[in-house]
Amino acid sequence: MRGLLVLTVAGGSVAHATLTPLVSVRDVTPDLPLIMVVLLALRRGPEFGCLAGFVTGLLQDAAGGGLIGVQALTKAIIGFGIGVAGERLRVSQPLVQVPGLVVLTILEGLARFALLQIFRFPAPFGELMIYVVLPQAVFNGFVGAAVVLSLAASQVVRERFAGLPS
Amino acid sequence: MKIQKLLLLVTLVGVCLLLLTLQTRGYGAAARDALTMVTAPVQTGLARASRATFGLWSTYLDWKNVRAENHRLREEVQQLRVRALRVDDTDVENQRLRRLLGLQEKLPLTTLSGEIIGREWGGWIRSLTVNRGRGDNIPRLSAVISPDGLVGRIVDVRPGASIVQVLTDPASTVGAVVLRTRTPGIVEGDPRGTLRFKFMARDGASIQSGDVLVTAGQGGLFPRGIPIGTVRTIDNRGSALFHFADLAPAVDYARVDEVLLVTGDTQRDLTAFFPAGG
Repeated sequence: MRGLLVLTVAGGSVAHATLTPLVSVRDVTPDLPLIMVVLLALRRGPEFGCLAGFVTGLLQDAAGGGLIGVQALTKAIIGFGIGVAGERLRVSQPLVQVPGLVVLTILEGLARFALLQIFRFPAPFGELMIYVVLPQAVFNGFVGAAVVLSLAASQVVRERFAGLPS
Repeated sequence: MKIQKLLLLVTLVGVCLLLLTLQTRGYGAAARDALTMVTAPVQTGLARASRATFGLWSTYLDWKNVRAENHRLREEVQQLRVRALRVDDTDVENQRLRRLLGLQEKLPLTTLSGEIIGREWGGWIRSLTVNRGRGDNIPRLSAVISPDGLVGRIVDVRPGASIVQVLTDPASTVGAVVLRTRTPGIVEGDPRGTLRFKFMARDGASIQSGDVLVTAGQGGLFPRGIPIGTVRTIDNRGSALFHFADLAPAVDYARVDEVLLVTGDTQRDLTAFFPAGG
């Protein structure tokens, strides 16, 4: 199970760089690793979320060709934060998770921008927010909703089959 | 437990910051290379898989488009064929009318052109309906001709239309002569839809296959010299008084669409005006 999770995290983040351009809408792509980190952190807790965020972010950085460590840092923090929130708050409802994903995408964008500023990497704030972060946040919301709903559906099916007498 | 979690976070954040610092100071190449060694093969495999999948998809889309285009082109070809047929038909009709008009202009007769609007093609009766009738002052028994030869005669004049008895009608008889030998005889319609020439054995001894028969012009109904047909075979009946010859009609009665109705003087020799007769 743990191996499968590692494979999901590692493979998913590399797949993001390779496959998401194919599902882009007007050049906007969803941040699949972020969605994955958030959902995993909610189910597995802060340590797993933090580690998953770190690994996926690192691989995303390596695959994307930017500064290595930027997304690893932001996603590790998000994975940790969401894991802690999942333990203390009621965040299991899709109506919370989906808007949460949108907000988290924006927060991740802001954090990434701040890091790039600290490490003197040129990035125009306004354009980044308008053309990259906000559309991606909306896209993540839609994709996240689809993922959450399909997970909930699969959970229902699994429970129904588990209840059947053998 | 709580400290452990925080320690993990701090460690990872520290690693990230270290990586970022090293990179900004120019020492990040080794780390990047190491990560690339891990990610590049996976990316290559995924890219190939996605290319294959999407290649398949685009092939399917191409096939679908080609199919739709093929359908559209087939329809277009069909429409163009119909249009071409119409053009061909108009062209053929134009040629036919030109021939008819040419004949009408050069014949030293009073004629009226008419269009075939109906055909009775059973074995009992073989007739055509022409769109000229009582209002056009068409006399009964008028000769009906086409640029190829004699078609028949008007047997019934009605308001707006007339009935033409075709030469192949079993009741039809026309006085004829063999153009080459001047052998006289009678051309009769045959119930099989063909023509036969009935002639006296003594007079027709030298008739050959391929001889052209024209109207004799002796009854006053048909002008002389209008082609009727060509001798196909001769039925030699030995010592019988009359012999018969099967004829190939000069006119394709089933396909004739426009005709001339001879309404005036019929006492003229028209041999020179029909190429088949000469």
